[in-house]
Amino acid sequence: MLGLVGQAVEGIYQVCRGLWTVFKHSGRPPTTKEYPDIMPDLPGRFRGRLALAVHPETGEHLCISCRQCERVCPDKCIEITAHKSPETNKLELIEFKIDHGLCMFCGLCTEVCPTSCIINTNDFEMSDYSREALIYDLRRLTLSKEESVHYFSKKELTPPKPKPKPAAKPAAAGAAAPARPAPAARAEEGEAAKPAAAKAPPEKKEQAQPAGEAARPSEAKAPPEKKEEKAPPAGEAAAPAGGQDAPGDKQDKPKPEAGGTQ
Amino acid sequence: MNSAVFEVSKFARLAVTWVCIIFGAVWLACWLVGVFIPALITQAAASSTAGQYWAEICRALVPLVAVAVFIPINAMFMVLAERRALALFTVRKGPNRVGPDGLLQTAADAVKLLFKEDITPRGADALMFTLAPIIFFAPSIIAVIPLLAAVSGNHPLFGIANIPTGIFYVLAVSSIPVVGIVMGSWASNNKYSLVGGLRSAAQAISYEIPLVLAIVTVCLMAGTLDVVQIADMQKGPFWNWFLFGNGALAHVKDGPVAAVAAILLLLCCLLLFLIYITGACAEVNRIPFDLPEAESELVSGYNTEYSGIKFAIFFLAEFTNLFVVCTIAAVMFLGGGHSPFGSHVETGFINWLGAQLQSLPGSAQVLSPAWLVNSLVDPSTLSQAIWIILKVYTLVVFAILVRATLPRFRIDQLMDFGWKRLIPLALILLVAVTFLRELL
Amino acid sequence: MSTETTSLPATGRLKTDEMIINMGPQHPATHGVLRLLVTLDGEFVKHVEPVIGHLHRAQEWQGQNRTWFQYQALIDRVDYLSGMFTSWALCRAAEKIDGTEIPLRAEYMRVMVAEMNRITSHLLWLGTYLIDLGAMFGFPFYPFREREKLLDLLEAISGQRMMFNYIRIGGVQAEAPPGWFARLKAFTEEFPQRVDEYEAIVTQNPIFLKRTKGVGILKKQVAMDYGVTGPSLRASGVPFDLRKVKPYSVYDRLNFEVPVFDGDGDTWDRYMCRIREMRQSNEIIKQCMEQIPGGSSDELREKRKACNSCDKADCPNCGGDLRIMTKKQNAGLRIKAGEGFAAVESPRGTLGCYIISTGGDTAYRIKWRNPSFSNLAVLPVLLLDHPIADIMAIFGSIDVILPDVDR
Ligand code: SF4
Ligand code: SF4
Repeated sequence: MLGLVGQAVEGIYQVCRGLWTVFKHSGRPPTTKEYPDIMPDLPGRFRGRLALAVHPETGEHLCISCRQCERVCPDKCIEITAHKSPETNKLELIEFKIDHGLCMFCGLCTEVCPTSCIINTNDFEMSDYSREALIYDLRRLTLSKEESVHYFSKKELTPPKPKPKPAAKPAAAGAAAPARPAPAARAEEGEAAKPAAAKAPPEKKEQAQPAGEAARPSEAKAPPEKKEEKAPPAGEAAAPAGGQDAPGDKQDKPKPEAGGTQ
Repeated sequence: MNSAVFEVSKFARLAVTWVCIIFGAVWLACWLVGVFIPALITQAAASSTAGQYWAEICRALVPLVAVAVFIPINAMFMVLAERRALALFTVRKGPNRVGPDGLLQTAADAVKLLFKEDITPRGADALMFTLAPIIFFAPSIIAVIPLLAAVSGNHPLFGIANIPTGIFYVLAVSSIPVVGIVMGSWASNNKYSLVGGLRSAAQAISYEIPLVLAIVTVCLMAGTLDVVQIADMQKGPFWNWFLFGNGALAHVKDGPVAAVAAILLLLCCLLLFLIYITGACAEVNRIPFDLPEAESELVSGYNTEYSGIKFAIFFLAEFTNLFVVCTIAAVMFLGGGHSPFGSHVETGFINWLGAQLQSLPGSAQVLSPAWLVNSLVDPSTLSQAIWIILKVYTLVVFAILVRATLPRFRIDQLMDFGWKRLIPLALILLVAVTFLRELL
Repeated sequence: MSTETTSLPATGRLKTDEMIINMGPQHPATHGVLRLLVTLDGEFVKHVEPVIGHLHRAQEWQGQNRTWFQYQALIDRVDYLSGMFTSWALCRAAEKIDGTEIPLRAEYMRVMVAEMNRITSHLLWLGTYLIDLGAMFGFPFYPFREREKLLDLLEAISGQRMMFNYIRIGGVQAEAPPGWFARLKAFTEEFPQRVDEYEAIVTQNPIFLKRTKGVGILKKQVAMDYGVTGPSLRASGVPFDLRKVKPYSVYDRLNFEVPVFDGDGDTWDRYMCRIREMRQSNEIIKQCMEQIPGGSSDELREKRKACNSCDKADCPNCGGDLRIMTKKQNAGLRIKAGEGFAAVESPRGTLGCYIISTGGDTAYRIKWRNPSFSNLAVLPVLLLDHPIADIMAIFGSIDVILPDVDR
């Protein structure tokens, strides 16, 4: 009998202790993250949407079409079309497609990229209405200069040296840090032969592309605008001047076309 | 810290707004039906008996109107309050998107539920399936009617709802919903539902006994079944409540025997209240007694197959039932609509407000603006209403707190606890209280 | 299923017709896609047959068809609540074959992130277990709040919340980002109080005790016979924890204890065991931050900037013990020919990986020993003669994670 009473008292006490502990929580600030209103501050290493960075100063594409990323991808969701330019005898990027519907965001492609061209951005809002719209082409993948600067600094990547193409700069760049450009160049040379052999597929791929392209001419335009809305925090953080994302985006648009027609 | 205080204040704001909306609406509706329309009728048909007759009918309808207006709005508020309070306890924000500060969240939910497809599963007994939510819901409307008289201080308009065996009637009616649950679960043609329904029946039967015993003990102390009288007996400061032995403590100085008896009585009454709360939790299927809808075992129990408006009715009824049991607790144990600090403050306020109202020019003349104000604002009912609202919703918040804390019983443990612990305890208390009363 | 006998069974309950009910694979409480075929006698379980394989993704086969580099990224998905451990087991096995020495700093980093991951896993278990017991609306949010903080930290260091791909063959993928250690320190300071709060709400709660004490008793011998490992085994009184009995990595330098219970090995013991393990893991993280070569401040980072992370073996800033990677990985990572087995103590038990490599860039054969699989095997024994309402309470308590079972 006494044992029962003791049990009951103990039980009531423990329940009350629990109730009180829970009640105390009402005086604590909420942990809710009000996501669409307040964008989360994601760490630089966050593996989000893939994108191609451009040179922070010249705005040139950093990709040397080495196809490292294409080969390493476990899901085989990267598709690169490149050809050997007749004048410079260098590989030139024609089309770069990433199927984000397949991608598992493992970040391996970004690890192997010799020029830090392909990077994981902090953007994770990629939902779309069709699977085809998740296949990003070169235009949608390319970042603006501001964004590239932002991600280079956020991810603590060494900003790339200009490509040795323009003739005047490479000497200076090479003098400043002789160690860096070397692997890139080596990779370039090493890969030069192989893509030549693999030249047949690009043509096939190009034939396949127009169908996909034609299916969504309007959708292709939408994402850059979406990006524009989300850019401000990034743009401001990177360039304290602020409000400069609009010109950046304007630069963004004509560029890929120029790259394509070259 | 600041943002925490901010959250609490937002919750308080939400509660105050909603309570104002609920009781404003009820008050206005009652006034319209009970005072204004009869006044119009008598004005128009000055001395004809037919007019008197219709006016009387109008007045008699007041309790029904009050309940009909009150229940849907209140259930909406309680759902929202529950979600917000749970959010507070779990350091979240809760619904805060629809309307200012999430005020309209449940209104939107209700609209959504009304427009959802109403599915009757194949193989279900359609008639029973449809009838079940109604049978589940109806008693909660009928049950509160006698309580109206108690919470409004036996206001003449609600007097008609007062019956001498009030609490008996309330308890009898509030045990009907389980029939609805069993019907619904059987008609759903689903094993999980059926198990949920049967559990519910077993649970309701077992826990009704301690609950009723607790109430019976209170009635024994009060010597009446009339809720209005029971509430009135607890007038005065809070130690007059049945929760604290209805003034037992006043006898402490009457000598050692009386003192011991008084303290024991106080203890008994506290235990009675605990028993009542436990039984009530089980009665309305709330955690830790929510076995009929135990999600981890039974998917969703008896309402697994329900959707759309029928589900909404189940939902509505569940919250109304919670409100009803809290109101019973407030009336039986917490002094009904009486202030816990003695009646001086109240009386002072009532007299002052009454004097203000009386002094309005032309207040005797029917349908003059002053008369409108005067008949609308009833000082004593107002003070009663404020206290009862405070008490009932405090209990509701407590129930939410319990929900946020406790895990659920297992069905056999539940039965054990009910039959082997609560019922004997309630019986012991019944006897003990009887004798202790004599010793005072 | 009804039998001819009408006599009372040994348990003394009235014999009724047996009923077979099917729980899952879609049931709100089966934690994934487990299907249980339960044979009931009244409310009591007579027989349980777990039907597994709904989540089979051929993870072992994948290892033979993916390069090592790619497989590292995939293997986190085997046990998605403790991805660090699966990577760790894989890496340890591969390093064993390769004979790679792991720099000390990398070892400490591994221990730290793994223990963090252990805490997140146990926290998730705690929350969902209380949901299984019906505390649906309040309590489960608290463990998730702390888990969120840890996941944020893991995200900051590895890039993702669950599929970390952080522990790599030869070390770890990256140095901690700036301010990471400070945040971790703040967390470790705060965490014990939070655990106290959980315990205040749950541990002695009479309803919780009723649901867990004496329920699902796993006897020492049965546990060992079935190959149960992890907290479930230790709750049954077997002091088997790889971190102690066969210390790998730097666990022999750390001072911690493995909670072992002498009691019945019931559900409550398993709960308590995990709670104490969380506290111990917290201690381990604290000690790691003190012991880690190079220190747990951002100082080393700054120094490394000076030499541009040269990664030379003799560099005072980033060589020797201070490295985080034996040598930089590239896509053509190869493992020497050979066979090797390595195991780690994951939150669910002994997680082993057996590799046969022929020296190529893919494995010849990979075999995983997943703790959940072995732990699930004991479920039919545990559930026997328990009422149906306890199925979830017991199933939850052995902390099985279905992708880990099915691979
Ligand atoms: S992140 Fe992984 S899956 Fe996605 S494209 Fe890069 S390598 Fe492929
Ligand atoms: S690895 Fe980098 S440089 Fe090479 S093809 Fe891919 S993106 Fe271009």
